[in-house]
Amino acid sequence: MKTLVVYCHPSRESFVAAVLDATLEGLRDGEHEVRVTDLYADGFDPVFSAEDHANHLADDVDRTGIARYIEDLRWCESLVLVYPTWWAGQPAMLKGWIDRVWVNGVAWKLPAGKRRLKPLLRSIHRITVVTTHGSSKIINALEGEGGKRTVTRSLRALCSRTCRTHWIAMYTVDTSTELQRAQFLHRVRLRLAA
Amino acid sequence: MRATVVLVHPSPTSFTHSCAAAAERGLQSAGHDVTTLDLYAMGFQPAMTDAERQAYHGEQPVIDPLVAESVAAVQQAEMLVFVYPTWWSGMPAMLKGWLEKTMLPGVAFVFDKRGKVRPGLQTVRHIVGISSYGSSRAYVKAINDNGRRTLLRALRLNTGWRTKRLWLPMYSIDGSTPERRAAFVASVEKSMAAL
Repeated sequence: MKTLVVYCHPSRESFVAAVLDATLEGLRDGEHEVRVTDLYADGFDPVFSAEDHANHLADDVDRTGIARYIEDLRWCESLVLVYPTWWAGQPAMLKGWIDRVWVNGVAWKLPAGKRRLKPLLRSIHRITVVTTHGSSKIINALEGEGGKRTVTRSLRALCSRTCRTHWIAMYTVDTSTELQRAQFLHRVRLRLAA
Repeated sequence: MRATVVLVHPSPTSFTHSCAAAAERGLQSAGHDVTTLDLYAMGFQPAMTDAERQAYHGEQPVIDPLVAESVAAVQQAEMLVFVYPTWWSGMPAMLKGWLEKTMLPGVAFVFDKRGKVRPGLQTVRHIVGISSYGSSRAYVKAINDNGRRTLLRALRLNTGWRTKRLWLPMYSIDGSTPERRAAFVASVEKSMAAL
């Protein structure tokens, strides 16, 4: 499957970087065709600007600055997001990638006179999230798992009607042991190879 | 009471800005002290940098002067008022990044002796959210309102259970009439004056 991996963490020495490596190993084992976007390494600008807002519903917008991200998103059949969960959701950098790349004409369009968006990413059949949470599963449940819902509901709504979502998460990572982290990396490798 | 308004929208002529101005007027008319952080106007950088991530659990996690300003505004606040448009069922990246960079260990929460997280913002008595949505109420409820959950649940875990919560949503803004928008702005002013 054509697979786009979007990775978001500022530090290459983090555990999430090791999670990315395990993700890529798993995808290689599964013989998937892979493209990787490293938002921090790219110096991606996550801020949806006044200009972006003014052109929000326009048809002919110059998007050369983010053309590569758009091309990758249209190309892929499987999307894999690798990030740490901060404040119950995607880090600002990744949220900004959603705000700025999943735009009119790429992810959706609003036909004249209609009130519902028309999805444009019907070629995406699978979305996988690989994430770490500092806090426990119970705390995340209390907080409402907002990040999970952004992906499995909001993003999924613009993909294939039969799009499957997979949630591979490690909770309580702050107080985890080395063995638990190694087990999680192993699990990530196996799940992504499938 | 001292209120800190966090305003997030790229365009100064936006509906969000009208709502924030109404909230300020309402709060001031009730005799509250208002500090406004207009994140776009400040030029806030929402993406946490490598250096900031490394410093996060250290002695001095604040590197960015705009974060220092935000921390000061949050620590003196008894009311936190967030005014923003809901995008992708959540906060704009700008606000999400502000939360990540401002709500630091030692500010929003502290670790006790057993390494458990304890609330750090116990002076906050009200959390208020004022947000606009392109989608209808029914769609937002079906898809889930993550911005609301993050502020009223995740952030509230750091202020304590006695903090009161208020959410003022303007749904279906894309197809709304000027009259409905004006009525909402007026209702924001009234609700804030009543706090």
